[in-house]
Amino acid sequence: MTVFKTSLRNFLAHKGRMALSAVAVLLSVAFVCGTLVFTDTMNTTFDKLFSVTAADVTVSPQDADDTDQNPRTGKPESMPASVLDTVAKTEGVQRAEGAVMSMSVTVVNAENKNMGSSTGAPTIAGNWTQNDLKAMEITSGHAPRGPTEVMVDADTADKHGLKLGDELRTIAVTGDFTAKISGIASFKVTNPGAAVVYFDTATAQRELLGEEGLFTHVLATGADDLSDEQLKKNVAAALDAPYKLQTAKEAADAGRAEVGSFLDVMKYAMLGFAGIAVLVGVFLIVNTFSMLVAQRTREIGLMRAIGSSRKQVNRSVLLEALLLGVIGSVAGVAAGVGLAVGLMELMGSIGMELSTKDLTVKWTTPAVGLVLGVKVTVVAAYIPARRAGKISPMAALRDAGMPADAKAGRVRAAVGLLLTGAGAAALVTAARADQARQGSMFLGLGVVLTLVGFIVIGPLLAGIVVRMLSAPTLRLLGPVGRLAERNALRNPRRTGATGAALMIGLALVACLSVVGSSMVASATEELDKSVGADFIVSSDGGQPIVPQVQAALEETQGIVHVTEYRIVDAELTSPDGKTEDESLVAADPTYAQDLRRTTVAGELSAAYGKNAMSVGDSYAEEHGVKVGDTLTVAFKGGRSAQLKVAAITSDDTNVDKGAMYMNITTAAQYLPAEKMPQNLLLFAKAVDGQEKEAYGALKASIADYPTYKVQNQTDFKQDLKDQVGQLLNIVYGLLALAIIVAVLGVVNTLALSVVERTREIGLMRAIGLSRRQLRRMIRLESVVIALFGALLGLGLGMGWGTAAQKLLALEGLEVLEIPWPTIVTVFIGSAFVGLFAALVPAFRAGRMNVLNAIATE
Amino acid sequence: MTTAVSIPTHGGTGGDTAVAARARQVVKAYGTGETRVVALDHVDVDIARGQFTAIMGPSGSGKSTLMHCLAGLDTVTSGEIHLDDTEITKLKDKKLTQLRRDRIGFIFQAFNLLPTLNALENITLPMDIAGRKPDAAWLNRVVETVGLSERLKHRPTQLSGGQQQRVAVARALAARPEIIFGDEPTGNLDSRAGAEVLGFLRRSVDELGQTIVMVTHDPVAASYADRVLYLADGRIVDEMLRPTADAVLDRMKDFDARGRTS
Repeated sequence: MTVFKTSLRNFLAHKGRMALSAVAVLLSVAFVCGTLVFTDTMNTTFDKLFSVTAADVTVSPQDADDTDQNPRTGKPESMPASVLDTVAKTEGVQRAEGAVMSMSVTVVNAENKNMGSSTGAPTIAGNWTQNDLKAMEITSGHAPRGPTEVMVDADTADKHGLKLGDELRTIAVTGDFTAKISGIASFKVTNPGAAVVYFDTATAQRELLGEEGLFTHVLATGADDLSDEQLKKNVAAALDAPYKLQTAKEAADAGRAEVGSFLDVMKYAMLGFAGIAVLVGVFLIVNTFSMLVAQRTREIGLMRAIGSSRKQVNRSVLLEALLLGVIGSVAGVAAGVGLAVGLMELMGSIGMELSTKDLTVKWTTPAVGLVLGVKVTVVAAYIPARRAGKISPMAALRDAGMPADAKAGRVRAAVGLLLTGAGAAALVTAARADQARQGSMFLGLGVVLTLVGFIVIGPLLAGIVVRMLSAPTLRLLGPVGRLAERNALRNPRRTGATGAALMIGLALVACLSVVGSSMVASATEELDKSVGADFIVSSDGGQPIVPQVQAALEETQGIVHVTEYRIVDAELTSPDGKTEDESLVAADPTYAQDLRRTTVAGELSAAYGKNAMSVGDSYAEEHGVKVGDTLTVAFKGGRSAQLKVAAITSDDTNVDKGAMYMNITTAAQYLPAEKMPQNLLLFAKAVDGQEKEAYGALKASIADYPTYKVQNQTDFKQDLKDQVGQLLNIVYGLLALAIIVAVLGVVNTLALSVVERTREIGLMRAIGLSRRQLRRMIRLESVVIALFGALLGLGLGMGWGTAAQKLLALEGLEVLEIPWPTIVTVFIGSAFVGLFAALVPAFRAGRMNVLNAIATE
Repeated sequence: MTTAVSIPTHGGTGGDTAVAARARQVVKAYGTGETRVVALDHVDVDIARGQFTAIMGPSGSGKSTLMHCLAGLDTVTSGEIHLDDTEITKLKDKKLTQLRRDRIGFIFQAFNLLPTLNALENITLPMDIAGRKPDAAWLNRVVETVGLSERLKHRPTQLSGGQQQRVAVARALAARPEIIFGDEPTGNLDSRAGAEVLGFLRRSVDELGQTIVMVTHDPVAASYADRVLYLADGRIVDEMLRPTADAVLDRMKDFDARGRTS
């Protein structure tokens, strides 16, 4: 019990010194818990939505995929009205309704502004049914009647200021269609962001499916005493042809599985970043406890002298860590919930509505947070605790005011160098690998080994790097600079650990920025080499290009040709008898000019001949296909064809890698018109010399269709760059957490150093060091530590990035580009981070009373 | 009322006045109201230039406080302290720091040296901070006087306690301050090392004309001084010129006896 009491007292006595470690634990735990709460809440939201909207039994066409927002044909699968009649007459069915629902639409207002979500949530158009009343209620106006009326959901109406009577234009593959808003309906549960419009049934059928008398779903409601399973059996028995039947639970589960897998990806990605922050936090905790133990050497020596065992001393330090862990974690769990709410607000501001009513905190969330926080803290404190246990009773009698300079041991150096060397070797192997899988294994190994190696030899490197950094800078700043340098060097282990914490985050930043800019550089080079088209037309969310847009483009002046590009799904059987699902490219022959591909055998233009096609060389190699061989191509939704391989394209490319080409007319022979996919992309070429005019004209021609964009090569490349940049920014944002924890570590080290050097500071002030000089000394020390971490991190990261690029060269990432502006900015930024970290410690040191400082034991 | 102790002018080296520092009616009190403790009670004192002054007194007599106030390390509650012509009781922190840096030398009981700097760097530190070049000839002389020529490149941890204090003495002397304050500079040393350090202080007064004020409770240490001031209860109660260890010890015994009976 006394052990506990001393621990508690020590903890309370040093609560200021523990504060930053607690914040580090708090931040990591908060990020983990916040992620869990946020994703759980999203799950709950979707769960509620799916379970409310699902009918007792839903009948859909067998090939229907409700999760596919962009069916290739631009239209959902449908079935005849006879299915509805059959279901309605089935025993146990109380009510049956035919539903029409399409997500392949764009809804725009009178100013041609897209009413859809910008977060990737779909725009859903359908008919208004009784079933919809389960989830929604009409809050103003009335349900749509006749071909000129549309009802819109209240969230969308609010977001875009829509009122009754406003006109909305629906763009679908079947054409444009304008209707006036007759009503606004509110969701009774949270709608996370989909824009929803309703028509009456006949209008929905005509405008979304192309003809009346078709439904995408039949929704059956059973008698009260009938289970959904029984109802499903009855309906299945009544229907003659095979349809997809789902009970309410199955439908909800299917929706949940789809959303869940997306949320899982997000969850694990965010937890990964939280993990990095935890790792960085470990350094901070190790440093804190090391310093506390060093400062308390005398006290611990006294405890040992009066009979405490090693174990007791050890345990008392660990108990303090336990207390720290518990406090940090509990606060972290609470902060995590707050973080989740904040994230939800943030999502709300970009158009994803989530309600705090759905806030879900499972019991596992605080449990995970607590276990993680406490465990990490105690494990991190273990090494310092063991060191405390080793303090001899004699230390009590010695003047242990100053811990002696900790010399980086020889063993440490040897182990570190060995690890770093092995890691570097693995990275080189990865860079030289000719197989992606094996190479990535070596890359992973290399990254881990070099990271651990750098951490181990950190103290050693601290000595070298700090001297190197100081030579040109600090020494110029005179005695204060020299003092700062000496202070940074006096405990290399501490400087090493503090810098290493910063190193981790910055290494990842550097690595990713190298890979990202190499990606852009490689793609740009490839595009320059291979793209012959002047313009590329695409949609924002990968929706097919509706025929209206194509027509508008084709009518534009100054265009030589517009190339259609469609993706066709088929089962491919090669001569070796193997059958695989493949997506083939059906395009106009001009595509061979729009995208220049080198061929290994045959002529690409021949592949656009009748009943001909091309394959990529890796497919050809795998299946032993040669030019002149015949493949069996079973078109999905169509007939089977025998196509002759007329060309084999080289796979040494980034664009259209492994694509198989055929003429659109070939595909059209075997596919019924309603199963023919729509264009995914269009390519256009301008009359020579008229590129600029044509570009303007093309843009103007599709001004009515905001989801589609025309880009010339320059814009396309810029877009690519922006996309990579955006992705990198998100990752940097998530890494910011780890970097913040690392900066806290620098603050922590400085703050504890200032406490530890109180007497020294008092002495220096007494013999005439001014406050300003003192503050500058601490700031410089901080800057040196930060730059040390930055240098190590950036160096390591650039090494990783280069190895990754060399490895990815196998996948077409052939150009290495080191983003020097980013690297230099980060390096200089670190200096400022160092200045910032020193603010409070320097201020406190400056405020110290000289006499008290000198008198401090 | 404490008696003002005036010092006859003798032996000063080059100063305009024979008084290096003077305190007038200095009061230092801590706390207010019932908890008010007076550490210095209207003290008047003159420190003669070129002399070695020792301040003695029992624990809590205010001897260290007096020294701290004279050295500009502590503020006074009322009264004036002049260092030469400068009234230091009026100075703000910045000026005080400069004053300590340029005109005062310190030797503390322990922890006098920065562990990150070697002996020479420690010695020149005040001048480095001020951005002044040390006078090489003077520096050599000081270093030789304290016998450290061989150990200039050593870090403090590689020096013995006596050597460390000698480095501190050298540092105090190197900048040629107007006055050196020692706060029990030999308190942590054995008698041999202590004698060595005190010997240096004595020689620096005799040979270099340095003014030194030293707080001590050791009669032997005080016997190296030209003059001993006795403090009790925040007042100067007595002084002794050309003291010997025995005389100092006797006087101390007197005070102790008086302290016990009063």
